[in-house]
Amino acid sequence: MTTPPNRFRRRVPVSAVALRVLVALLYVFLLAPLVIIVVISFSSNQYLSFPPTGFSLRWYAELPAETTFIQGMQTTLITASITTLIVLLIGVPASIALARYEVPGRGAISAFFLSPLLVPSVVLALGLVLTLGPLGLTNTYQGIVIGHVSITLPYVIRTTLMSLTTADTSSEEAARVLGANGWAVFRLITLPIIRPGVIAGGIVAFVVSFDEAVISLFVAESGKPTLPVQILRYVADSADAAVAALSVVLILFSVVIVVLVERVMGLRRTLI
Amino acid sequence: MSTPKLALVDLTKRYQPGLAPAVDHLNMEVEEGHLVALLGPSGCGKTTTLRMVAGLMDPTAGRIVVDGEDITSIPVHRRGMGMVFQSYALFPHMNVAANVAFGLRMRRLPKSERLERVRRALDMVQLGYLAERETKALSGGQQQRIALARALVVEPTLLLLDEPLSNLDAKLRESMRGEIRAIQQRTGATTLFVTHDQDEALDMADRIAVMNGGLIEQFGEPSEVYERPRTRFVAEFIGRANLLDATVVADRGPSGADERRYDVQVPGFGAVGAVGAPGLTGATRTMLVRPHRVQVHCDPGASGSPGTVESVSYTGDSVGYRVRVGDRAQLAEAPTDGRIAAPGDVVRLDWDPASAYLLPEEEER
Repeated sequence: MTTPPNRFRRRVPVSAVALRVLVALLYVFLLAPLVIIVVISFSSNQYLSFPPTGFSLRWYAELPAETTFIQGMQTTLITASITTLIVLLIGVPASIALARYEVPGRGAISAFFLSPLLVPSVVLALGLVLTLGPLGLTNTYQGIVIGHVSITLPYVIRTTLMSLTTADTSSEEAARVLGANGWAVFRLITLPIIRPGVIAGGIVAFVVSFDEAVISLFVAESGKPTLPVQILRYVADSADAAVAALSVVLILFSVVIVVLVERVMGLRRTLI
Repeated sequence: MSTPKLALVDLTKRYQPGLAPAVDHLNMEVEEGHLVALLGPSGCGKTTTLRMVAGLMDPTAGRIVVDGEDITSIPVHRRGMGMVFQSYALFPHMNVAANVAFGLRMRRLPKSERLERVRRALDMVQLGYLAERETKALSGGQQQRIALARALVVEPTLLLLDEPLSNLDAKLRESMRGEIRAIQQRTGATTLFVTHDQDEALDMADRIAVMNGGLIEQFGEPSEVYERPRTRFVAEFIGRANLLDATVVADRGPSGADERRYDVQVPGFGAVGAVGAPGLTGATRTMLVRPHRVQVHCDPGASGSPGTVESVSYTGDSVGYRVRVGDRAQLAEAPTDGRIAAPGDVVRLDWDPASAYLLPEEEER
């Protein structure tokens, strides 16, 4: 009888199996709430409860009629778009200045730009209310945008700075020697090279602004409630499953964005 | 000499006040059509000098004059230079043709002329067939030639090469030397070439500026720099060198145009011959003998100074010896057709007096 050579036999150690089981359990733990929401959104139950007693699409059908959601969505899309635009217009030049020029106190400036990531958003939100109130900017688009710009700027600066510092500066120098002035170098060389970082930063800024609840709640709850604020209120007042259907729509929306980021430059490089 | 193509006048760069300058009152004139190598160890200021000429760096003091015109304050993008970087610095988001066309685009040339000149530049480096390729997929040698085409297509006032061969493997480096030199001569582009590789400089340059500590130690033709180094540093940096302390005993008459033959006394070697500048009788000088000029005699009855072989390295083309004479080891390089000595053997060393050179007295710095 011939025995197969031992080295071709794969042995999976017990520890590897245990690790896989653990990872699987973690995923279940993390994803379970989402799964439950998806299931509830298709249920015929009147209220947010689990398990469902029947299948129905009524909550999806009701969504377009839910004016608070539609208005919230509108506010959110407007503020998130404007926030993204502004944050790119500030963040990209700021990153270039930090990465390419001898700025006195460069370290302190970087730290300042990145600091909102470290400050609890409740504290930031409170500060914003106290500042924006006297200026008459609470409950306005401007107020929300100001708040969101301050929390999303770090993401744009981080991703752009990373693209800038990993790019070879000699191609910018080569362009200058070949006759490109500062603007031409930026437009034709620097920007195309750092584009993945800029786009990723913009997308992350959009998502963070889209999802942000605390600052929006403090700054503009009564005047310009954003979608997350509307959802909070809705769940506080009534407990029907329309909000679950909305959540599923938002999950799909996030998935689309994540796929976009992944396509553009890889999620890991963006967020770490 | 008529107006030099490029003149550096007291060019100085000090990165930080208080620190020694990276380039220190450097003066140099480059003739039209010449390839000049800036040669020196890292940190000698050669790249800083090149970057100041390019306009990528502002000098602390001094002037850069091209065709008699002071360009020191002209910004980099209006100097009309062509530069090849150590990393080649091709634009990663453009294909080969777009890379080469970039300088012409900045000069707003009409598209038809651009296409024609790009085609000719790519043909010059024999890479016309790569025009539509992305640059990332190219080999180092190809990238290097594209970078050269991109720099030359604008017909630059000066071609600046920053260690262009150092990222290539040894074989390719040799062949690229010849190719760059041939293209440079064909286009007649006055060229500054930064390198730390003395072979490259000797092989390619019309003139070599040997730099050390922000200063030019010697500026001259390759053979002059090699055979008649002005300082110990130059003698040791260019090629290999035996440097011996010699006391000049007697003047034995003229040798060549403006040198004299001398009898000198060298510890370990006794009385030997050497050549040097006039008026050295009685002085103490450093004497240079290149290893391949040292003759190694294995025959115990031969003339020359006895020494003990310490090590032997056989390279195929020649045999290198370390021979202890007195209390110092000397290098010798012999052809491989004779008898090859072994470590421990006693051999005799001597040389043609004309190939032993007494260095001029070093200036105090």
